[in-house]
Amino acid sequence: MNALPLSSVRNLVVAVLCIAGAACTSLQPAASRPSPPISTSPAPSPSPTPAPPPSSRPLPPPNVPQSVPPASRSSTAPSRPQSDASGASDALLAQARDERAAGSLTQATASIERALRLDPNNAELWVERGELALQTGNTAQAGTMARKALSLAGTNSTVSARAQRLLQAASAR
Amino acid sequence: MLAVLYAGFTALTVGAQFEGRRWDVPAQVYAAPLELYSGRALSQDDLVAELKRLGYREDPRLPAPGTYRVALGRLEISTRGFDFAGDIEPARLVSIAFAGGRIAGLRDKQGKDAAIVRLNPLLIGSLFAAHGEDRLIVPPQEIPPLLPAMLKAVEDQRFDTHHGVDPLAMLRAMFVNVTSGEIRQGASTLTQQLVRSYFLSNDRTWERKVREALMSISLEMRYSKDDLMYAYVNEIYLGQDGARAVHGFGLASQFYFGKPIGELELHELALLVAEVRGPTYYDPRRHPERARERRNFVLQRMVDEGLATNKAVQVAAERDLGLVDNTRRSATQSAFLGLVRRQLSSEYQRDDLERTGLIVLSTLDPTVQTAAERALDTGITALGKKAETFEGAIVVTNPQTGEVQAIVGGRKADYEGFNRALDARRPIGSLIKPAVYLAALESGRYTLASLIDDAPIEVKLQNGTTWLPANFDNRAHGEVPLVRALAESLNMATVRLGLDVGLEPIGDVLQRLGLVQKPKLYPSMLLGALALTPMEVAQIYNTLANGGFRVPLRAVRSVIGEGGKLLQRFDIDISQASDPAYVYSLNQALVQVMERGTGRAVRMQLPADMVVAGKTGTSDDLRDSWFAGFTNDHLIVTWIGTDDNKPTGLTGSSGAAKIWAGVLHALEASSYTAPAPDTVADEWIDYLTGQPMAEHCENAVAVPVPADQPIEHPFGCNGETGFGARIKSWFRGDGR
Repeated sequence: MNALPLSSVRNLVVAVLCIAGAACTSLQPAASRPSPPISTSPAPSPSPTPAPPPSSRPLPPPNVPQSVPPASRSSTAPSRPQSDASGASDALLAQARDERAAGSLTQATASIERALRLDPNNAELWVERGELALQTGNTAQAGTMARKALSLAGTNSTVSARAQRLLQAASAR
Repeated sequence: MLAVLYAGFTALTVGAQFEGRRWDVPAQVYAAPLELYSGRALSQDDLVAELKRLGYREDPRLPAPGTYRVALGRLEISTRGFDFAGDIEPARLVSIAFAGGRIAGLRDKQGKDAAIVRLNPLLIGSLFAAHGEDRLIVPPQEIPPLLPAMLKAVEDQRFDTHHGVDPLAMLRAMFVNVTSGEIRQGASTLTQQLVRSYFLSNDRTWERKVREALMSISLEMRYSKDDLMYAYVNEIYLGQDGARAVHGFGLASQFYFGKPIGELELHELALLVAEVRGPTYYDPRRHPERARERRNFVLQRMVDEGLATNKAVQVAAERDLGLVDNTRRSATQSAFLGLVRRQLSSEYQRDDLERTGLIVLSTLDPTVQTAAERALDTGITALGKKAETFEGAIVVTNPQTGEVQAIVGGRKADYEGFNRALDARRPIGSLIKPAVYLAALESGRYTLASLIDDAPIEVKLQNGTTWLPANFDNRAHGEVPLVRALAESLNMATVRLGLDVGLEPIGDVLQRLGLVQKPKLYPSMLLGALALTPMEVAQIYNTLANGGFRVPLRAVRSVIGEGGKLLQRFDIDISQASDPAYVYSLNQALVQVMERGTGRAVRMQLPADMVVAGKTGTSDDLRDSWFAGFTNDHLIVTWIGTDDNKPTGLTGSSGAAKIWAGVLHALEASSYTAPAPDTVADEWIDYLTGQPMAEHCENAVAVPVPADQPIEHPFGCNGETGFGARIKSWFRGDGR
């Protein structure tokens, strides 16, 4: 009983690790995220393009050239109504573009969504979010987000034009 | 001989059990982190309240993260920072200026402007099993070095040298126990306490005592003192919170002080050590004097053992217990936790949620949650004595992202409470009408300016009877424009419109807006015979507030698993439910509900320049009072009724609408604004009759109509479209 078998030592390490990490079984979501339960019927009036079918495409390989390049930092939104959060959302948009340029699409998405929470009626953020969706292969989301941006862009022609390009790119895929 | 065999058997089994078992660590749920930026509506008082809720303490020296000070009209914070699976917020020093209830400026340590800073998120609770253990694991390197020393000084002075049991202490205890005829004095080592908590029931028999001793010795042979101390710190029972048993010093620190264990001061650490002896007997919230005495005894032991100076201990012994207010927190946020559990339960096993130590980053906004709770409480109280049996529910979302910011499930929510926001399914009354009008707009045959006859109507039902819907005021209003029929919630006009459009398209609109089940298509559906939960109503109205884009309402942003690894992110997921131009038009009618219709009285309670959109709902015999309405930042759904479904005497506007306004008022929300789609153009009509009229006329209201179907352009106030008026308009230069 005095001798501590080697397997015991290993078990001890495992036990302690279990305690430390508090989880030893591998943990995965039980299923992938279910798609929204309701099917959307097509918009009843002339909508710019038919919505593409829900996409389940794999991610494009990393070296596929981007069909919609990130907009330059200087593109501003002259006619966007100034929100209380515009300074903060501009900073987060800049951060998201840096992350996107560095290839960290998950981080860029998180940053844009953080900006959208503070400044949700900012059409430029929706275009940026849609471009990220396109880049990660989610063309359906990209198209819807382009339409969302168009519905918010108002008289901002720069953002409208970007949203139109995104919509075309999403429909072309 | 038997004893030896028994000892060997125990030793073998205990090791296997200890190695085989893991701690149950329920998923810990955090609120959304508070974002600080210049321009944000947030007063200094509110921010200080938030800091206190997070366990920050005021200290003019700002010695460490988790402290703040007020200096020269600015609030300076040493923030804690965090790292959630790569989402990193560094700890930093920030200096904040306020003006007019807003953050006017934000600077970092170097005096440079900072764009945006996050506070660490509030731990709002955990998804523990019913009557289960809850704990927050403290890794070895984060255990304050003083804590093991204090535990040894108070509970087990020879811990470092004994082999699991302490014969000297046992002899002393046995003497006391024998002379008193029962087991009175414990002489348990920390190891024995660990064994007792981990493996054994708490009955005080000799048989169990022997077993406990044998198991302790066995554990000591297999594990180092450090491992055992680490296990003890995370295992031991330290408090009770309703059905939830608080285990380990990590969670106890949050439970009693609302802050991480690394930030505890001497007197706080001493109180936790005091609780080891009996969290019920020494409950600092119920028996503060008893707890204080025991805490000061712990402090005195520290002096005896040379762990602290006499001076430091004297200062600590004078301090208040310093407890964080837990009653409010534990009682109210359970409704929100219910939604978190529901969202996750479709994708995670129950065991995963309750036992494997997940970190769940939720969408809860504590400021909004507090505002909603208060609004329900004060709102129902203000209704007077008849309201004693009334219950209520509130759902608040960010319409554009679909994030649920707050949920109130009743006046007194608790863990076992009925969560009315999720589970009370009640007829929604006129809340259904926007779906009827949206279907009419989508048909292409109606605009908000179209006329509909608000006159008595007979509806033949399938069972052979005839339904005669009536208006709330029992009057007929004749030909009215759609905008007025919706704003004033006219029943006869709505039934006529709905039957003309058809029940099928209306059911389809409801499903596109977010209703999961297919509604039964009876004519009575047109006046809201459909029964829904506040959460289901919120999903439908969220799509309207979002301009026709549907986002599944979410309570969780991400889930982090073992080793800080990101398991899942719930990104924004939008789909188009209706053409934005039609939803824009409908929302303009919902603005008129507030300006001229059934929401007018409650609209008066809000700032004059504020634009809001909303709809009242009242079920038969005034049983349910509903309101759903939105600005750009918030969609709020409120419900009032009774649990036994008795009449309340309230309409939507005399009950739920007031509570809705109360929530909105507390949030200092912005207006509802939406850019007009270029496929529509504003036309001015007489709100009462629908006749075209000039903008300056009394009762003139602008309604969006399709830009390619211009209506006769108005020139005067009485429908003057004749030749004379046209000539006059040429001279004014506005004819076309």
